[in-house]
Amino acid sequence: MGTLGRVIYTVGNWIRGSGQALDRVGSILQGSHRLEEHLSRHRTLMSVFDKSPLVDKDVFVAPSASVIGDVQIGKGSSIWYGCVLRGDVNNISVGSGTNIQDNSLVHVAKTNLSGKVLPTTIGDNVTVAGHSAVIHGCTVEDEAFVGMGATLLDGVVVEKHAMVAAGSLVRENTRIPSGEVWGGNPAKFMRKLTDEEIAYISKSAENYINLAHIHAAENSKSFEEIEVERALRKKYARKDEDYDSMLGIVRETPAELILPDNVLPEKTTTRVPTTHY
Amino acid sequence: MATSIARFSRRGVASSLIRRCFAAEAALATHTDPPKPKLTVSPSPSPDRVKWDYRGQRQIIPLGQWLPKVAVDAYVAPNAVLAGQVTVWDGSSVWNGAVLRGDLNKITLGFCSNVQERCVVHAAWSSPTGLPAETLIDRYVTVGAYSLLRSCTIEPECIIGQHSILMEGSLVETRSILEAGSVVPPGRRIPSGELWGGNPARFIRTLTNEETLEIPKLAVAINHLSGDYFSEFLPYSTVYLEVEKFKRSLGITV
Repeated sequence: MGTLGRVIYTVGNWIRGSGQALDRVGSILQGSHRLEEHLSRHRTLMSVFDKSPLVDKDVFVAPSASVIGDVQIGKGSSIWYGCVLRGDVNNISVGSGTNIQDNSLVHVAKTNLSGKVLPTTIGDNVTVAGHSAVIHGCTVEDEAFVGMGATLLDGVVVEKHAMVAAGSLVRENTRIPSGEVWGGNPAKFMRKLTDEEIAYISKSAENYINLAHIHAAENSKSFEEIEVERALRKKYARKDEDYDSMLGIVRETPAELILPDNVLPEKTTTRVPTTHY
Repeated sequence: MATSIARFSRRGVASSLIRRCFAAEAALATHTDPPKPKLTVSPSPSPDRVKWDYRGQRQIIPLGQWLPKVAVDAYVAPNAVLAGQVTVWDGSSVWNGAVLRGDLNKITLGFCSNVQERCVVHAAWSSPTGLPAETLIDRYVTVGAYSLLRSCTIEPECIIGQHSILMEGSLVETRSILEAGSVVPPGRRIPSGELWGGNPARFIRTLTNEETLEIPKLAVAINHLSGDYFSEFLPYSTVYLEVEKFKRSLGITV
């Protein structure tokens, strides 16, 4: 049935061609209001003149994030969706194993009211559990925890194992000592961190490194891989493991669709300590 | 004449572009930087990393077997990011720059609800209350711009003010309003029919009956607005024409 296949293929091509012609007619009808789709010009890693970002090969930088200017990111770190790390007027250095979560903003200052300008330094294994934290010209030392929506202004120093509670506003040049939780607007000392919570901080940074690997793999797939997986997923959507096991069937989900085990924390953990305020 | 000059000059620029954006198809990029000795271990960049991808950020990111499900008449802005186990039900909308990251747990956006600009909705693995830590946003809920929701449950017909922060395990009961900028501590329950606000969220007053009737009307109004936005987009993007033109101009076989 070679010729029939050929005929159907040609007819399909004609229909597609007429579809595209109709599309052009429609655009002319719409005139100046028509939608013109362009390729995405969003630059994930962008250099400003001679300042270019230096990002380790292990780092997950989400495609919708922007790493601009003089930024250095150490291995194992992750920059999540929608973040902006703008090192245009000064430099930003992010250590290893740090995660800067979605929609955060890390920025540096060129001039300051007091005249002293510090680059932003974020240490190793810091969790900017951000979701929209704003870090502006400050130093965050290793294994610290910046809570959701926190705003850290110029010159703030968050010491090791310290925590900035969610929604807090830390004024300029505040120093948050090690092992304490500061929060509120303006940020004040709230309480001390228990050892359990300090351990939790480093554990969560580790979990995020593993999670970042998954997202990195997913975001860097080529078009063919995405299509193949979509077909696989459709095929396996109806096949539930529980149901199969009751019938005594063992089906294998294809390897592409299995998430690695180390992403989700072990089920043996008891209550997660409430480290966020 | 002018076009051929333009084409030649573009080829000169384009040759470096080829390596950058079509790394999978063409040769690898040879971008190297001298290592800056600022960190204790200076990062070693990979020459494979692309600086920008012409595809941009995908809107729907499946993780393993989880595929975010968007209802047919829900409007999800093109620069919103849905990842993992996210379900967006009918009539709801996810506005620009929002990030709904259901990688550790489920996120559900109910009927006629909306998640406005730049929100981040995440679900933790476990919640301090011990209840399932999925983020459930029920029907007719308006989540104001720039809010952060993490493992919370929002019952039907609520309004969450702009830039509010709802932490793990918090429960906003039906017909309540949270003021803008409020921070709800973990495990906090906002009772039904009340107005809370502040950091940490404190009781302000109860809502009058008229105000509670307005709440679903706001959600429906935003639903109508999202319908306008939805009709701006073609069912399938025509960017593939641009991509073909681009590739042809760079000499890559389509």
